[in-house]
Amino acid sequence: MRRTTSVCPICLRRVPAVRVRRQGQYYLEKTCPEHGGFSTLLWQGSQPLEDWTGPLPETGSEEGLRCPEDCGLCKRHLRNTCCTLLEVTDRCNLNCRFCFADNAQTQDPPLEQVKGWIDGIVRQTGGTLLQLSGGEPTLRDDLPQLVAYAKGAGCPYVQLNTNGLRLAECPDFVHALAQAGLDIVFLQFDGMTEEVYHILRGRDMLAAKQAAIQACAREKIGVTLVPTLVPGVNTGQIGDILRFAMSRTPDVRGVHFQPVSYFGRVPELPGDAQRYTMGQLLDDIVGQTGGLIPRESLVPSSCDHPLCGLHGDYIALPRGRVYPLSNRNKPPAPCCGPADPAQQNRDFIGSRWSRPEEARCCPPESDLHSLDGFLAWKRAHGFTITSMNFQDAGNLDLERLRQCSLHVYRNGRRVPFCAAYLSPLAL
Amino acid sequence: MSEQPLICSLCQCPLEIKRVDFEYVGHTFFADAPRCPRCGQVYLSEELVKGRVAEVEMELEDK
Repeated sequence: MRRTTSVCPICLRRVPAVRVRRQGQYYLEKTCPEHGGFSTLLWQGSQPLEDWTGPLPETGSEEGLRCPEDCGLCKRHLRNTCCTLLEVTDRCNLNCRFCFADNAQTQDPPLEQVKGWIDGIVRQTGGTLLQLSGGEPTLRDDLPQLVAYAKGAGCPYVQLNTNGLRLAECPDFVHALAQAGLDIVFLQFDGMTEEVYHILRGRDMLAAKQAAIQACAREKIGVTLVPTLVPGVNTGQIGDILRFAMSRTPDVRGVHFQPVSYFGRVPELPGDAQRYTMGQLLDDIVGQTGGLIPRESLVPSSCDHPLCGLHGDYIALPRGRVYPLSNRNKPPAPCCGPADPAQQNRDFIGSRWSRPEEARCCPPESDLHSLDGFLAWKRAHGFTITSMNFQDAGNLDLERLRQCSLHVYRNGRRVPFCAAYLSPLAL
Repeated sequence: MSEQPLICSLCQCPLEIKRVDFEYVGHTFFADAPRCPRCGQVYLSEELVKGRVAEVEMELEDK
């Protein structure tokens, strides 16, 4: 049994919580003095949770924590900012079943105001991987100006979080984004069948996704596919998504899985069958790729909490084969000093999700182990698998929250993502 | 002007360009580098170490 702190999913009051193991599965259990007891599935799968996380201090049960209602980075937060998410619009051209953001259709903040926010972010972080988000940020016609401004202000990487519809329809807009210096497109990409998109997004999307990938490829903007994984909807398509993505290197740089989390009011509290945990994701990546992606190549996040993220680094080879680069059992690379994990993380993901300038031709596969051959293969066909497991009012754990390095910029403050979007799960 | 041949500091014989194998965090790589035909000592130039070797290290760095 492990002690931490969570919130009541009804009133968001901070309450003590414990992580317990029952019949091989792990749960977060807590009791609100007003609303009673709650249990949320945290982890299930063939690998025990402790094997994945390794030993960790119990930082979620320390006295005097005021997260999440007081969130905005404080002295007790344990990570610097790796990535900063900035909402540049509330408007959206979809009405999805699952979305952390509002679709409020309110007027966009003026360009000069957003530029001021970017200045504030750069002042506070000294440079960050900036995620332009929404709403659907491509609904802003001045988005290229924002990208150029962020690059000029000192953001080493600028990322666009998008459903891809406008990218698919407007090649001139994609060209303008590329000219402005956009590095990364995070493309919502939930599966390989229209049925999945109908359930999650309410319309056909596959052709638009393909067109968006092609539009970005023409402009040499790296694309990372971002599936929201919902049990029973698309968790059976993980292997297909990975095979598709790897066949599309160098246009596609990776897949970033986001198991569903529950923000906003839902008709009833999500049950365990509606949860998709990291343990299941690990099993399904390995199982659905037939071992093409070996389990040991998937490594827990060392920047964020191990239950919040994973990553694997690969080279996608011809005929559907993979050369894994990461291995959690191998010694870490020699390091010349203690690095800031947030900066290390930013450099890692930024360099991998963006697309290098070099041509896509590779030397013969036999040269994969020559220095020149390896560099050519890695740059053209390097591929990452990452995952970010967001927390909601059901499974929020302050031990994890304190280690968050993805921050939302609001009212001049950087707020850990899961605190920024936390909402009561009540009728 | 031709460059001076590199001489092995141990055997005093000229180095020859040969395939050299490296290992780094569990991965093996090869490159052509001057090597002593007698004792096998290898000369790694600053250009190689600060160039391609450093680039490979960067590509293999974990987060």
